[in-house]
Amino acid sequence: MQYEILARPAASVAKLSLSANETITCEVGAMIAMTTGIAVETTSGKKGGSGGFMKGLKRMFAGENYFLNHFTAQAPDQTLIIGPTMLGDIVHHDLRGGSLVVQGSSWLASETGVSVDATWQGFGKAIFSGEGLFWVKCSGQGSVFLSSFGAIYEVDVEDEYIVDTGHIVAFEDTLQFRIVKAGRSLIGSFLGGEGLVCKFNGQGKLYCQSHNPPNFGKLVGPKLKPQ
Amino acid sequence: MSQLDFEISQRPDFAIVTVRMQPGEKVYSEPAAMASMTPSLTMKAGMKGGWKKALGRMFAGESLIVNTFSAETAPGEVLFAPGIPGDMMHYELDNNSLYLQRGAFLAHSEGVELSAKWQGAKGFFSGQGLVLLKAHGKGDLFFNSFGAILEIDVADEYVVDTGYIVAFEDTLDYKVVVLPGSRPTKTIKNFLFGGEGLVCRFSGQGKVWVQTRYVHPLLSWVYPFRPVKSKD
Repeated sequence: MQYEILARPAASVAKLSLSANETITCEVGAMIAMTTGIAVETTSGKKGGSGGFMKGLKRMFAGENYFLNHFTAQAPDQTLIIGPTMLGDIVHHDLRGGSLVVQGSSWLASETGVSVDATWQGFGKAIFSGEGLFWVKCSGQGSVFLSSFGAIYEVDVEDEYIVDTGHIVAFEDTLQFRIVKAGRSLIGSFLGGEGLVCKFNGQGKLYCQSHNPPNFGKLVGPKLKPQ
Repeated sequence: MSQLDFEISQRPDFAIVTVRMQPGEKVYSEPAAMASMTPSLTMKAGMKGGWKKALGRMFAGESLIVNTFSAETAPGEVLFAPGIPGDMMHYELDNNSLYLQRGAFLAHSEGVELSAKWQGAKGFFSGQGLVLLKAHGKGDLFFNSFGAILEIDVADEYVVDTGYIVAFEDTLDYKVVVLPGSRPTKTIKNFLFGGEGLVCRFSGQGKVWVQTRYVHPLLSWVYPFRPVKSKD
């Protein structure tokens, strides 16, 4: 699959060129435009796979249904343009064995050789419920397209690195991680607005975003009419 | 050859247009579009084209009022900016028409007329409103987007999600359909904030301008962060 990332860095979209019978799986709503020789199928899980994805997403969306679109080219030279909701960038990650843990709202699309599991709870359930964050684990071989809120910056972790969890786009699972307090005391950490952060150890790639979706939501959401 | 002496800058994320005017020239814009200008220009708010056309513009999501900027005795400069951050395109109308989505119109020169195009049944399920704005005549047109603009030359057929259409030439035929094989999500959020799964199938030869972001999914995303009413 050929791809090109256009309109960087703030309104990025991925333009994918599909040959006959190539399939790409995307989150619903990602499709912006495409040529007419593409068939679309909607499922709630990995194509031909289990409902694991559904379970994880239900947790995040409080029981609402969530679907995936599978785009398959029926003819040669088909084009599909996809993009996320937030203003920000897109990065392509070539998965070759191993796994990538991705923040749920940052997963944009992946090839069918990549399995997407949304039941991953490596950070623990309690801490992030209500934060609007959930995580998917991508494993296998193929392209994974990640989107961000704001700019994406890559960190090649060699030893240790600390990231606020809302700023994590994705990380290779070769990294160990621990949720720790930002400051010395728990109360101090929360007062400072940082609360809990993720401390990475080891070697691996970490993708971060310049802006934090839950923080943005909490800033603008309260200005709307109450539910 | 365009009529106006203009320059679009800060593309694709915060595009604005600078129009340099000579005495006798006029340019028309949507309200609140003027970001800055030299004092030699005068501005008049008004219902250009009469009240019927103004009403039509209102239904297309543009406001009733079109402001007129004139250079009377001295040259001047005016900068227009849209409300939403994004991209901007200039199009030269040559006795043809361009159809614009709601909110996409920014400004035009003399010789261009704006009116509403009633979509009728075509637009009924689109959630985008029933009306497209139609720009017709001979002159300069400026339109804007949320996110960046991609210009697509349709040679045969092309499909675009309805929320992402900014503008298209009148040489194209279009039909709003549900994306075949997809199931539109039926949550309350999407009902309020726009039709997912609806696409526009263009056919023929012509240009369509597509934006890379759309406000409605962003609103749906923010929606769950609303404050919860206390149950006292």
